Amino acid sequence: MNTEAIKDLLYKIADDQLILGHKNSEWTGFGPLLEEDIAFSSMAQDKVGQSWQFYKILNELGETDPDTLAFMRNAEQFHNCQLVELPNGEYDFSLIRHFLFDTAELIRFSMLSESSFEPIALLSKKIKGEVKYHTMHANIWIKQLGSATSESISRLQASLDYAIPFALGIFEPSKFEEELKQEGIFEGEAVLKATWLGQIEGIIDQTALKMPSLDQSHLGLGGRYGTHTDHLQPLLDEMSEVFKVDPTADW
Amino acid sequence: MSLKSLDPRVGRLHISEQEGNLETPKGVLDQFETYEAFVQVKEGKSLDHVGPVHAPNEEMAFLFAKEQFTRRGSFCNALCIVKTENILMSEYSDNKISVYDAVVTNPTGIITEEFEIFHLFKRGKQHRYIGTVNALNFDDALANSKVFYPSEKPVYNVWVVNSKDILTSDDDDRDIWDTLKEKQYREAIDYKGQDLIKAYKEKIAQD
Repeated sequence: MNTEAIKDLLYKIADDQLILGHKNSEWTGFGPLLEEDIAFSSMAQDKVGQSWQFYKILNELGETDPDTLAFMRNAEQFHNCQLVELPNGEYDFSLIRHFLFDTAELIRFSMLSESSFEPIALLSKKIKGEVKYHTMHANIWIKQLGSATSESISRLQASLDYAIPFALGIFEPSKFEEELKQEGIFEGEAVLKATWLGQIEGIIDQTALKMPSLDQSHLGLGGRYGTHTDHLQPLLDEMSEVFKVDPTADW
Repeated sequence: MSLKSLDPRVGRLHISEQEGNLETPKGVLDQFETYEAFVQVKEGKSLDHVGPVHAPNEEMAFLFAKEQFTRRGSFCNALCIVKTENILMSEYSDNKISVYDAVVTNPTGIITEEFEIFHLFKRGKQHRYIGTVNALNFDDALANSKVFYPSEKPVYNVWVVNSKDILTSDDDDRDIWDTLKEKQYREAIDYKGQDLIKAYKEKIAQD
């Protein structure tokens, strides 16, 4: 097995989950209605919990422990796509991001359930159900607000137009695409992206929203190898504040 | 003056101190309608009412109910949603008197629709699913239920729901409840603080 290729794959999945989980958790107590606040917060916890599982596999492959991986790296050492580090904005943007990202995530985990690298296959099978609910949640909200009032439609459309180039950054090819494919570890970002596009369009078509052009795809690239927006470092500083004050803190 | 808070999320919003007062208060009934959620934790177990959620429609009520009522359980086999206004509630009874005692009409024998029956056996507890009856209307369903589902224990309240008004989770979606066992970082229960609290309390008591 090509350990470097596997680590590369694990880092981007774990970092995406950790950063988006943290961003989404910022809605706790601020959600548009109580029930939604609880649901969105729960999903944020799912993401952070899932990231911990992926960091644990990295740990088993020789990387340092999950807490240190999560809290002690700088922005340029993170492999998350830029989409997940963008500020939450208003709820329209957070929902669009949740929709674009989680749709890709569910397809990724479905693909990885067949991975020849067993720890990833087992974990992906196990968390597919959680992410399935996340996409149900996203789809229902997008269908609802994407066909409701002129305000909700124009807000979602503006967020969709803004987010799309960054969403395409999810599929930035890895240095190891060929190795991962050849060894049956992961079918690759290109396959994932094609499936994703079909599903996204399938939902958008059921609303008054229009699928934006995909021409600006170069804009959201770079995150997988440490090129991030200015938003990531302050986010990491805030996230790791307690850990950096006292790494042994426990409660 | 901008609102000061220890919460960095609030700080970032730069909310002026006056801002919160500008909003016009909501009207008394300006809120989403309510939906009742019913959960079956395991195949073969009873389907019980678990509580209400506010939502703009049935699908969203399902989404919300899933997280409100089935997240902390180990598994959920089925989740059903009914709009509250679609539930016919019988009178309430008390003191070991069954509410069915007041139902004096006999079943009409005319079958046009299917209804689901829920019984309340203890005040303050949740309604429990009993079974289906075929009847003409809600009142006829109640009369049928008295005949078909006689209960040794007194029934203090009955809910009657037209079967077509129930949204039930898809069997293929049962995997949304098949979640990770590890609760680290995502359940308050995993933060073990009891020892620290105990030590702190003892310290306070000594001082």
